[in-house]
Amino acid sequence: MEAEVKDQLVSIEKPELVAPPNWEPVIMGILCNWCSYAGSDLTGTSRIQYPPNIRIIRVPCSSRVDPWFLIKSLQTTADGVLVSGCHPGDCHYITGNYYARRRFLVTKKLLNFVGFHENRIQFSWVSAAEGPKFAKVVAKVTEDIKKLGPLHLYKKENFEKK
Amino acid sequence: MNVETFVTDKAGLQKFYEAIMADRETYAPVEKFGKFDFKRVTHLSECDPESPIAKTQSIKPLFFPRTAKVMKYVATSAGTDVSEVDEDPLAVKRVILGAKHCDARALQVLDKVYNWDYIDTDYQKRRENTLIISTRCDKADAHCFCTSLDYDVENLNAMDVLIVNGADGKIFIKAKTEKGSALLNTDVTRHASRVTETDAAPELKKQYDAFAASFRLKMDYKEVNAKLSKIFDTPEFENVSGNCISCNTCAFVCPTCHCFKISDEKLKDTGVRYKSYDSCNNGYFTLMAGGHNPRPAKYRRWRQRAMHKFVYYKERFGENLCVGCGKCTMACPVNISIFEVVNQVTG
Amino acid sequence: MNYTKQIQDIAAKLFAEGKIDVFVGYRMNGFDDNQVPVLITDPQDVSKLVFTDKSVFNLVNYLKTDHTRRKRVGLVVKGCDSRSLNLMLTENQMKRENLYVVGICCEGVVDEAGQKMQNCVECVVPDAVVSDELLGTPAGRRPYKVNVDIAALAEKPLTERATYFEEIFENCIRCNACRHSCPLCYCAKCCIDQETSTLYNGANTTSAAFHALMTWSLHLAGRCVDCRNCEKACPSHLPLHLLHKQNESVIFENFQEHMAGVIPEDRGAFYKYSLKDPDDFIM
Repeated sequence: MEAEVKDQLVSIEKPELVAPPNWEPVIMGILCNWCSYAGSDLTGTSRIQYPPNIRIIRVPCSSRVDPWFLIKSLQTTADGVLVSGCHPGDCHYITGNYYARRRFLVTKKLLNFVGFHENRIQFSWVSAAEGPKFAKVVAKVTEDIKKLGPLHLYKKENFEKK
Repeated sequence: MNVETFVTDKAGLQKFYEAIMADRETYAPVEKFGKFDFKRVTHLSECDPESPIAKTQSIKPLFFPRTAKVMKYVATSAGTDVSEVDEDPLAVKRVILGAKHCDARALQVLDKVYNWDYIDTDYQKRRENTLIISTRCDKADAHCFCTSLDYDVENLNAMDVLIVNGADGKIFIKAKTEKGSALLNTDVTRHASRVTETDAAPELKKQYDAFAASFRLKMDYKEVNAKLSKIFDTPEFENVSGNCISCNTCAFVCPTCHCFKISDEKLKDTGVRYKSYDSCNNGYFTLMAGGHNPRPAKYRRWRQRAMHKFVYYKERFGENLCVGCGKCTMACPVNISIFEVVNQVTG
Repeated sequence: MNYTKQIQDIAAKLFAEGKIDVFVGYRMNGFDDNQVPVLITDPQDVSKLVFTDKSVFNLVNYLKTDHTRRKRVGLVVKGCDSRSLNLMLTENQMKRENLYVVGICCEGVVDEAGQKMQNCVECVVPDAVVSDELLGTPAGRRPYKVNVDIAALAEKPLTERATYFEEIFENCIRCNACRHSCPLCYCAKCCIDQETSTLYNGANTTSAAFHALMTWSLHLAGRCVDCRNCEKACPSHLPLHLLHKQNESVIFENFQEHMAGVIPEDRGAFYKYSLKDPDDFIM
């Protein structure tokens, strides 16, 4: 049997760094308690499969997410981050997600400006009833990050990939 | 000891530097964003050993790094596993080019505190392994006052090799220590010619006299030191520290400041411990458990700074801690000059 | 641009009438033609005050120190400085009745080499927006232009930007002078300096510098007035304006916000929202 010749997967921001074989991305998921977290719970109870690369953290509201968290996630084990909240107009705290989406835009643009690919941090609105949507969102994010390769920028000491 | 002295010209000096870089780990001023910092270089084109003093950082980070990893630890149920304690990338044999003589003097002063109640073996090793080549400045900068302090700038032997620009493009290379002599006796000096110490002396003296005359700032050190030790409670400190913004910059660029802090970057049971610079000017320097701040008011921190530099260290170790390089004034966002502060406070 | 005489007169009058305890202005540094801030408490020192196109430092920074807290302060502000003052007042950092503000209609300041500073060339709000007394002739608002440096960097490919910024973060020595010289960074203890947090990083590694500078610029987004105190304070000469101007341009283009601090009582961009904010980047 002939060995398959594969293209080597590299880190898109630093093309000299090659991904190890069978590399799987680590995605940090920050979900708001009332909509997205409940939505992801529904995905699970509906037995809909989604990629296991995501690690979920629950916050009360998407506006709890300080841009600081996104920076910190990217500096530790995460190769990408997904932040998800309630649809605009449906926030449990009325206006939280309106403030959050302003912050998200600026953070995404700034990270892109300093050299991160824009798909490294992604956002979604997923309601508590949208089980299938959550699965689709996670699949899309995982696929996107897989294409970008491992993240190697500014990792903290303990989290540098060897 | 026959003091090795050589004379050469600009081209010969370049070849001297290149010969040194060829087979020794060399650090020299490298320009970045308009400022010069000492980095590892392999070619003369990467660096400028004659960088202007106003824009050059000190060589202190090569002996007391801005950040040094102390250890890595992992806590398990069997105990704590500590690793990576031995690596010290700076403890190799190296040469520093283009050190200013105030920087070299700063190391002599720091030697005292690092050999005091606790012998800092890391610092010792780095000092033993490093050769310092210093070019004497031709002209003082606006903030320098090294000749006003308690050390003999002309005959300083803090560096291993001294380079002096003489008249008519002549450049003198002189050994100041045994290590320096040993270096100059190798073939790095093959493009220079030997001269005797007595022959070179008049030119060196002439350069020094011109240099000493170029200082804008001069103080009577003995008087200042005597007065300062008696006026701890003067309200003048409040006036001079008014526009300080407690930003840490002066301590970070100072060639003799040696305060540090230990920080742990941890995640659950694993972590890395770092030792990095700290500044007594910081608002929360040495904050104690429970929240007590020993120096909450800004004027007290400035008083501490001035007294440490000009009184306390001299009392304890016999050397003035401030070496008169003026880097703090240049780096300060509001250009506070320790020279002016000390003069204003002593009246 | 020279308001030295007027400012000396105003300060003298304020002291004579007993209206202020301390006057914050500029004085010559004593050895060349550059100026440094000065806090005057003795009316006899009023003659030290100057104001020309070399009066660069944003003095609103001094409203967070011991020397001015709970005292009555006289202050000189240019266009950008006054906006940071407005934000400080909006964020309840001091009482307006304790301040006597001398506003300047600024024509731009120059750096030590005598060149007009970049933020003055691109200035949108040159006239002081809050003052008890306004000196100079108002020039009015100018149109907003994207900063030339970030426009140039945005054209470069991702990997080039990554390398360029890596050099910047490598050269940061974590002295925190940028934070201390920023008038809007008044937190008693910065969030990233909390030693008990697992997010703490006091060390001077490149990753720590990235963490510090990015968090700082994002916490300042929508509030930065582009006074360049941070850049002037930085001992490693890092081009910090790149981060702040990038945030400013995104805010300006997408949220149609005025420049920070132009309207009194108006908070920064992140304290407001619009139902029409861009949403298309969210799935």
